Amino acid sequence: MASKNQGPAAPRALVVEDIKVDLVVLLRMLRKLNCEATVAHNGKEAVDLFLEGKTFDIVFFDKDMPVMTGPEAVTKIRGMGASGVKMVGVSADFGGLEAFMQAGADVFVPKPMKLETLDAMLQEVIGKKNMSG
Amino acid sequence: MAAAALREQLNALLSSMYASGLVDDQFQQLQMLQDDGGTPGFVAEVVTLFCDDADRIISELAALLEQPVVDFDKVDAYVHQLKGSSASVGAQKVKFTCMQFRELCQHKNRDGCIMALTLVRNEFYDLRNKFQTMLQVVPYVLKGPFDFQVFTGIVKMEHMLLKLKRIACPCFLLKFV
Repeated sequence: MASKNQGPAAPRALVVEDIKVDLVVLLRMLRKLNCEATVAHNGKEAVDLFLEGKTFDIVFFDKDMPVMTGPEAVTKIRGMGASGVKMVGVSADFGGLEAFMQAGADVFVPKPMKLETLDAMLQEVIGKKNMSG
Repeated sequence: MAAAALREQLNALLSSMYASGLVDDQFQQLQMLQDDGGTPGFVAEVVTLFCDDADRIISELAALLEQPVVDFDKVDAYVHQLKGSSASVGAQKVKFTCMQFRELCQHKNRDGCIMALTLVRNEFYDLRNKFQTMLQVVPYVLKGPFDFQVFTGIVKMEHMLLKLKRIACPCFLLKFV
């Protein structure tokens, strides 16, 4: 599932989240920040997207999900050689920080994520995209 | 004139929700996401999703805690879900109670968990009632001409539904009950 993007350098985000409320809120924030967003409902769906050859600039992982957790998905995707994509662990669970960082995530953000925090991360991603041409 | 009175009522309701700690600044974030983006149904959508989800989770928790042997891992997983979604909509009181609830789960304190569930349920019902009122008033505050008869009809129907708890009626309001 993808929503519309706007702008030539719009970052492509993957949101990996099983809780519908959290998903709707994050998607709305991304849309507000002119970010193209794709959804996966668990870690396995996210891994499958990468196996299909899909590429993203930034991925937001919830921690506890059915089938495959966020940290498990991070480990698998990093193991596939996906080093250029920014991986963000997101959780209301304070134990999420250690789990995600050990798995290979770039950053951990506690839930609920603030719009300013999301904007700053996307600006960094856009900056890197523009530099790499 | 009636719209202005309703607007005042809505503002008073929202102020009291913030002042009592029922909602926090995350709820304000949701309002900002709606106001700026031109997506008029966004807050209603999120609030409705949350209420449906919370209702379901509370029912699951009640069933789990009635078992002769309580699966505290499952209870904890549900409470964690409720904590997460309540944080996402800014339901502060529900979120804080869920945090305490999780500690009781970790100590496998059944009686404590049952008390925590009662507290979460009461706080959720209080919040849901206020959300329902808010969502019913908002369209009439935002619209131009105000149809008082339609509004009165809806308020009366809401009271009827709340009294009867649940009736089989093909009414759009049922999704809020």
